[in-house]
Amino acid sequence: MSTVAWITARGLFGRRRFLLLLPLPVLLVVLAVLSRGLGVAPSDWGPPVLVGLGLAVVLPVVALIVGTGVLGAEIDDGTVVHVLTTPLPRWQIVLPKLAVAAGVTAATVAAPLFAAGLLADSVRLGLALAVAASAGALAYSALFVAASLLTRRPVLLGLVYVLIWEGLLSNVLAGSRVFSIQHYVIALADRLAPTELLHTTVSMPLAAVMIALVSIGFSLLAIDRLRAFSVAGETS
Amino acid sequence: MPEPTGVIHDIGYQRYTGLRLGRRQVFGALYLHGVRTVFGLGRSAKAKIFPWLVVGIVGMVAAAVTAIRTQIGEVVMTYAQFADAMSWLVIFFVAVAAPELVSRDLRSGVLPLYFSRPLPRADYPLAKLLALVTGLWLLLGAPQLVMFLGGAFTADGMRGVWDELLDLLPGLLYAGLWAVIFASVGLLIASLTGKRAFAAGGIVAVFLMTTPIVGVLSILPSQTANQLAGVASPPTLVQGVGLWAMRDLLITDQDGVGPDLGPFGPVYALVAVALVAACVALLLARYRKVAAR
Repeated sequence: MSTVAWITARGLFGRRRFLLLLPLPVLLVVLAVLSRGLGVAPSDWGPPVLVGLGLAVVLPVVALIVGTGVLGAEIDDGTVVHVLTTPLPRWQIVLPKLAVAAGVTAATVAAPLFAAGLLADSVRLGLALAVAASAGALAYSALFVAASLLTRRPVLLGLVYVLIWEGLLSNVLAGSRVFSIQHYVIALADRLAPTELLHTTVSMPLAAVMIALVSIGFSLLAIDRLRAFSVAGETS
Repeated sequence: MPEPTGVIHDIGYQRYTGLRLGRRQVFGALYLHGVRTVFGLGRSAKAKIFPWLVVGIVGMVAAAVTAIRTQIGEVVMTYAQFADAMSWLVIFFVAVAAPELVSRDLRSGVLPLYFSRPLPRADYPLAKLLALVTGLWLLLGAPQLVMFLGGAFTADGMRGVWDELLDLLPGLLYAGLWAVIFASVGLLIASLTGKRAFAAGGIVAVFLMTTPIVGVLSILPSQTANQLAGVASPPTLVQGVGLWAMRDLLITDQDGVGPDLGPFGPVYALVAVALVAACVALLLARYRKVAAR
């Protein structure tokens, strides 16, 4: 584990506010256990819990908070300069941070999704959701790490994507789902474990290709932006 | 030892002898500044991007609804339904505005400067809250006014205009309910952290994670749980109060079934009042603690 990754992980876990991330996954498991325990049919509680809460809220919001936290927080308080002045190539700064962000997000989201999928249908669905969510975590993290280098307000930009693009437009315009990470994850999970619980209009090969493209493309963009990074004081 | 030769020169410092404005003026200034901050007025172009993006989208929807109504004659949504349809944008707007109002002051540690004025502890958060409520109400109310103008100019005679106005007023009241509940919850969360980024994330997380709880509660095999499900999430809570108070304005579709409240309509109203009261109380408690530092 490189030093940058170590520092980043400590920066994430060393703060009390990391605990704020826990209620979301816990809520996911609690709702799944509650529904299962009270004997509601999985076809009724599966879509709102697995997709409505798990893939549409927990995954993007955790990825947003962690993804903008690994680099955006350092840029915000100016300590990124200490890392930038070391003789490290910029990709050795971006990639470990991205790996930590994706790893933390995947661990936080995949475990409760596995439990919820297991309760809803089978071990296979649980594993499929966990794998798909991990792939999604990588794509989301790349997107949000790049966003924190493109703008000074990365969280708001990320929220525009999560709320307005994925939340509003994907429901109204089915065509915009082709550019929605949430639907790639659903397509991936549905392919790995075909059930009646997950529905999307995006095809599986397209989803796999787009997840890879988004992850690699935004990582390269982040590295490129960090090469031309200009240190400036806080504006407005 | 020589005698001291120093002289004190009068360089013209004067005491302020003019009128000193009191608490009300401080409150008013804070409120006005808050409303301007919500929309990024008086700040750089960067601070205006996100608030005006939301205002632009909401305005576009209102314009489209108005155009469809005047051209085709089909009422896409009533004034009251407009607020419901915009709920995600309202959440985003709160996530943009609330951290701007309170988190920046916490971060830069200027609160002691505010409280060195004739300003009671409670006035600062209340002025900010009032500013956010006003901002949200304007966000939801102004497009309804656009829709009203479109409807009024196509209505036949004064009678039609009067009917439109009677539809608009409950819509504006309903928008006010949205504004009060979302502003009090959002401002409370934002006041917990000095980092705008975390405040925005926290607000969105709280609002979004409560929605699926409603989804699960409403399919549990217990009718009471189903009918009380809406209480668990701010948007459905507001909707429940609206359905209880003015059902015919929210559900216009004849065979459209809204959420079934059963006999619990007044419970929704009580919970809404209790939620706002609790949020304001916690906000005041929070500022008693912060101001003491």
